[in-house]
Amino acid sequence: MTLFAQQFVNGIALGSVYALVALGLTLVYGVLKVPNFAHGALYMAGAYVVYVMLTAVGGSYALAIAVAVVVIAVMGAAMEFVVFRRLEGKSSVHAMIAALGVLFFLEGTADVIWGPDFRPVPTPLDGVVTAFGINITEQRILVIVAAIVAMAGLYFLLKRTLVGMSIEAMAQDREGALLVGIDTRRVALITFAISGALAAIAGALIAPLVLVFPTMGAVIILKAFVIVILGGMGSVPGAILGGYLLALAETMAGTYVAFAFSELIAFALLVLVLVFRPTGLFQKGV
Amino acid sequence: MRTWGPTTMLEIRGLRVRFGSFDALSGVSLDVRHGEIVVLLGANGAGKSTLFRAISGLHPAVGGAIRLEGEDITSWTAHRLVAAGIAHAPEGKHLFPEASVTKNLRLGAYVQRKAPDVVRQTMDEVFELFPALRDKEHDAAGTLSGGQQQMLAIGRALMARPRLLLLDEPSLGLAPLVVEEVFESILRINQGGTSVLLAEQNAHAALKVAHRGYVMEEGRVVLEGDQDDLMGNEEVRRAYIGV
Repeated sequence: MTLFAQQFVNGIALGSVYALVALGLTLVYGVLKVPNFAHGALYMAGAYVVYVMLTAVGGSYALAIAVAVVVIAVMGAAMEFVVFRRLEGKSSVHAMIAALGVLFFLEGTADVIWGPDFRPVPTPLDGVVTAFGINITEQRILVIVAAIVAMAGLYFLLKRTLVGMSIEAMAQDREGALLVGIDTRRVALITFAISGALAAIAGALIAPLVLVFPTMGAVIILKAFVIVILGGMGSVPGAILGGYLLALAETMAGTYVAFAFSELIAFALLVLVLVFRPTGLFQKGV
Repeated sequence: MRTWGPTTMLEIRGLRVRFGSFDALSGVSLDVRHGEIVVLLGANGAGKSTLFRAISGLHPAVGGAIRLEGEDITSWTAHRLVAAGIAHAPEGKHLFPEASVTKNLRLGAYVQRKAPDVVRQTMDEVFELFPALRDKEHDAAGTLSGGQQQMLAIGRALMARPRLLLLDEPSLGLAPLVVEEVFESILRINQGGTSVLLAEQNAHAALKVAHRGYVMEEGRVVLEGDQDDLMGNEEVRRAYIGV
């Protein structure tokens, strides 16, 4: 029972990161119909910003996270402005290939700057909390709490602000949004910036728990796609639930079946969902 | 014959629109004067919707000019045109299907977002015009009947408080009784001071409310006249009224 509880908490921590990455991906897909593979590179870049802040620049971990959010939000917006805006009106195959191109370009850039090595990031919170026989590191507690705060912030933004209203409108009918006077290009830019900020939070939170390397975004982006397909393309609640579910499934499979099995889960689920319920498990809706 | 200057709300001169190598509009000219209801008749594919899309900035023109009260708006973006006073209830409606009726209307007032009092007042006016919408105010737009969706599309366009309202086939797919209701509301909107450009296949109903009209064929205007001219025109009667 203790083992189960322990792994459950670990799964929730991992799920927090998955959900944050999937949220940014599903938001961009829902609003702009861009399958943004380059989203993984934003996550990677967020982790590298924290690495640079904590090893070279100095300052607190909180400052490092804040800098990562700002830098990657700008990077996300730039991605929209430089690449995806030019592909408006073309088929989504164009957008997908462009997104893969941007992913490889940014991975290559990281490789040029930092090399292919796996780099450890100093752990700012190295305490361990023990409760009910479960050990949980302070960093994992931070991951879980910060992710919930970020999701609550996103919910507030989408449901209670005018920007959120225009994002929702564009997700539901792009032409309708144009016809009520919404500047859809501005909304596209903002959506990419929000998506980048979410990826940055995920990358910044995970960085001290793992090693940072140029292709770290490639693995998680595939899982994020599984989550987004699982949760329904474009669905915000689906991305959150799917993120936690996939992480829990992986953690439990790794614990009770075999460690190697955990990496297989995502793709087995993907195939099952695509075959039996291609619209996803949850209803669509921003 | 043509009126220029301040009495003209919308002037279109020699407008050309292309889809690839296909000329969707080849030199369309028309006017909508202040306070008029102008009807655009024509078969499917004659270019009515394309003309509307060009006016509201959804599709670029390759030639000609569009002027709103004398100002050249030919290359303006869609959102700027809404702010300038052109609202378009398009073919296919393009509502926000998962949002409630109220939220659709609030989004319709996006260009009025800095004036919440105006938004509230306009919403009351829309509900007065379409009482059926008030009964459904919390329902998602996608769950409404075809007639209610059409009313919501018109209501959403009105929320922007336009000077010129573009209505693309508002009677399409509606039951005869509902069509009558929609046309009555168009008259009332017009009596409130809004100029209306209306595309219709239901020529009989449209000509009853319109001051003037144009007939389009294959991307050009082939006939124009006032209500009586068109009602009495043999070709119009044969082609669009079916008498």
